[in-house]
Amino acid sequence: MSRPNKSLTKYKIVFLGEQGVGKTSLITRFMYDTFDDHYQATIGIDFLSKTMYLDDKTIRLQLWDTAGQERFRSLIPSYIRDSRVAIVVYDITKKKSFDCIDKWIEDVKNERGEDNVILCVVGNKSDLTDERQVSTEDGEKKAKELGAKIFMETSTKAGYNVKNLFKKIAKSLPEFQNSESTPLDETENSDNTKKTGIIDITTNDELQQSSCQC
Amino acid sequence: MVTNGGDPLRFSTGDGIDILASKEKFINYRFKAVRSPSVPNFHEGNYKNLNSSEPILASPIAAQPNYESDRDTENLVLNSEHDGTNSLIDLYRDEIVHENKDSNDSEEGEIFTRKEEEIENSSEVEQAFSGSPSKLVSVMDNAEHFDRYGFRKQNNFITEGVYNKWWEGYSQYCIRRKHKWVMLLEKSGLSVDNDMPTRFPPRSEKLKRYVRKGIPAEWRGNAWWYFVRGQEKLNKNKDVYEKLLVKMGDLNDEQQRKKLIDLDVIERDLNRTFPDNIHFQKEQFQNKEPPMIQSLRRVLVAFSLYNPKIGYCQSMNFLAGLLLLFMDEERAFWMLVIITSRYLPGVHNVNLEGVNIDQGVLMLCIKEYLPEIWEYIYPKQKLENQHKHDSLNISTEVLKNEFLFKLPPLTLCTASWFMSCFIGIIPIETTLRIWDCLFYEESHFLFKASLAIFKLCEQDIIKDKPLHKTLGQYTLPNSNRTSRYSRLSQDDYDMEIFQIIQSFPKRIIDPNDIFEKIIFKKRIALNRLDQQEIDRCRKYVSNQRLKYKNYKDLIGDQESLKKTTNRMNNNINIINNNNITRESNNNNNSNNNNNNTSSAAESLMKEINMTNDLMNDTLSSEVYGFKKGLSSVHWNNSIKERVKQMRRKREKDYQT
Repeated sequence: MSRPNKSLTKYKIVFLGEQGVGKTSLITRFMYDTFDDHYQATIGIDFLSKTMYLDDKTIRLQLWDTAGQERFRSLIPSYIRDSRVAIVVYDITKKKSFDCIDKWIEDVKNERGEDNVILCVVGNKSDLTDERQVSTEDGEKKAKELGAKIFMETSTKAGYNVKNLFKKIAKSLPEFQNSESTPLDETENSDNTKKTGIIDITTNDELQQSSCQC
Repeated sequence: MVTNGGDPLRFSTGDGIDILASKEKFINYRFKAVRSPSVPNFHEGNYKNLNSSEPILASPIAAQPNYESDRDTENLVLNSEHDGTNSLIDLYRDEIVHENKDSNDSEEGEIFTRKEEEIENSSEVEQAFSGSPSKLVSVMDNAEHFDRYGFRKQNNFITEGVYNKWWEGYSQYCIRRKHKWVMLLEKSGLSVDNDMPTRFPPRSEKLKRYVRKGIPAEWRGNAWWYFVRGQEKLNKNKDVYEKLLVKMGDLNDEQQRKKLIDLDVIERDLNRTFPDNIHFQKEQFQNKEPPMIQSLRRVLVAFSLYNPKIGYCQSMNFLAGLLLLFMDEERAFWMLVIITSRYLPGVHNVNLEGVNIDQGVLMLCIKEYLPEIWEYIYPKQKLENQHKHDSLNISTEVLKNEFLFKLPPLTLCTASWFMSCFIGIIPIETTLRIWDCLFYEESHFLFKASLAIFKLCEQDIIKDKPLHKTLGQYTLPNSNRTSRYSRLSQDDYDMEIFQIIQSFPKRIIDPNDIFEKIIFKKRIALNRLDQQEIDRCRKYVSNQRLKYKNYKDLIGDQESLKKTTNRMNNNINIINNNNITRESNNNNNSNNNNNNTSSAAESLMKEINMTNDLMNDTLSSEVYGFKKGLSSVHWNNSIKERVKQMRRKREKDYQT
């Protein structure tokens, strides 16, 4: 509020997914680069906004953090309605949360139509390898089936892939579509996550979708 | 409360009734009937109960099979004979003596009797904590960072410095208020009863004022319980909680557990309830689940078994959690029952319709009492635009109320105010002051408090935007509001307001910002709001929403109905023309048979007519009228009359 957001293009991003998968944590990691073991359960909806600089461009991201419990789904549609990006999060250590992403994605499609929204599927808590219940391959496969443009595994605890996720999202926004010629420069990114989740984003999204997550 | 030497557990209720509970059943319940010992010495300031490795909680552990241990012989020690000011500590000592024979523990118990300055004296602390010095000292190092309820003082919005500075004054205020309360009780012939009064004076303007100025923190559990008539509820439902716990213990069967999705949801929220509160945290170097979390689990699971219509709804974890800081489990459970039924009806139901209704009511209240803000939340321009675009030609009357169905975006922020009764929304001392009033004055106080918050940030909402926003050409100084609205997207507005409404309350550290600045100012219109108004308003919004829902359904249906009827009419024609075959071009209706096609079409026609009726019904809905002050006109008799006329007319129409 304090900073003038003159001429900044704003994009609404809504975070969806089962309760406790790490939506708030994902946002907090992105916003403040911090992590807590326990966040308070989100009731209703929380709103945060962040200015993002990328490739000499500045955009304003409006992040909508939602409550995960099933019954809150009925309250959320109006926020999905004009979101540019929907991030559906599951917990790789909880199969059930993975099974739930269908419902959330369906909600988004119902509200937004498939083509008007950038759908992202995010498998969080990837640091908990011992407790993993959903393989990366399964995640990727399902994301593709559901028509998600972006799939990523993140660990908000380890700070893994979070920046990448948002960069990737930003890159797929119209703001970056025209002038885009260089792939995302990953060396600038401190996530040390060379081997997974890094995709060259080119102007042609469609072709790139399939190759995400090596 | 008197102990009864091991015989049936007897404790005195808020109503002065003695309850006998069979020992077998309550074998190891230790009711903190008076107050949770886990909430120590509220008026002294910093949180001090950091050293009990076996936190002193009155938690029935019925769900765990192995609980019948050495506690069987335990008596209910609900009150003690020691004198006034330090009675809390005495309670501690009693409990500890009963519970742990370990002398170290009782020494720890004594620590609570020490005054703050003593505790600050490190050598004494060392000595006192000699039982397990390293751990305790490290916890004591932390103590200053937590408030008297065990919440971390600092958060994203308030620094510890700000907190301490404010607390310096506010703690004095609390002591002064408490003194007044003591005098009030004495004057009313009620016993302060070792600083744990269980009865309070009869309702009066004076008492209301006292409550509004804050119930002494250590009396809160009892006072809330008394004001909501909790004991009445409990007496009618003796043993219910305990039976629920038994039922809960039986839930080991995997299948049974599966049926209750709530269990899983509850489980995941337990550690996400007040993670910044000492009582809800695991102790350092220990993996044991804090007793508070165990209590919370039992209360929430018991509730979900008790009221399957609600089950478990996120936010109830906070309600129950806060209650547990002030009272024992069973009372917390019944308070939760009372809150979710009496004060927030339907709010936590599966469809959350109660939330929507209350948000509709809140919007109506803002419109009525804070019209300046309402203009920003729901600009007229928007309304007019909608009219233009509305092909359905709906009368303005209805659209005036459209915000009751299509709630403005900020209601998703304010929804959480109601769901959690401001826990986590406003700093804790302020929240508790609102809770005091909620239980004394009933649910309208939640609306009043909400309006007060809006009133407090009125300047932010109005001034900060669009005038001071660097939106260049959009903020022509001479332009009137309407034109600004037309140029600034409503979406931008909504975001701005949302953000203010979301973050502003988090800074209301001083309860008197709400109370002294708003609630006690009689001239401020919103203070006219009373329970009757809210009850009426809720009914109205509920009806309107229902009507609208029917209307929407029917509008949606009408299109398809029309299509179907057309198709059916075609069918009939075809059938008439060709008596033999049903096979026609109308693939869709290939299942119909001759006989019922025509009757179905007929009934569909009827339905369409009915739809029109219902639509008219919605269209003619009256606008809500608030009761005005005595000096001005009484509400809306003309509309009442009109409604009656319309009803009469409609009835006639139906008859003919």
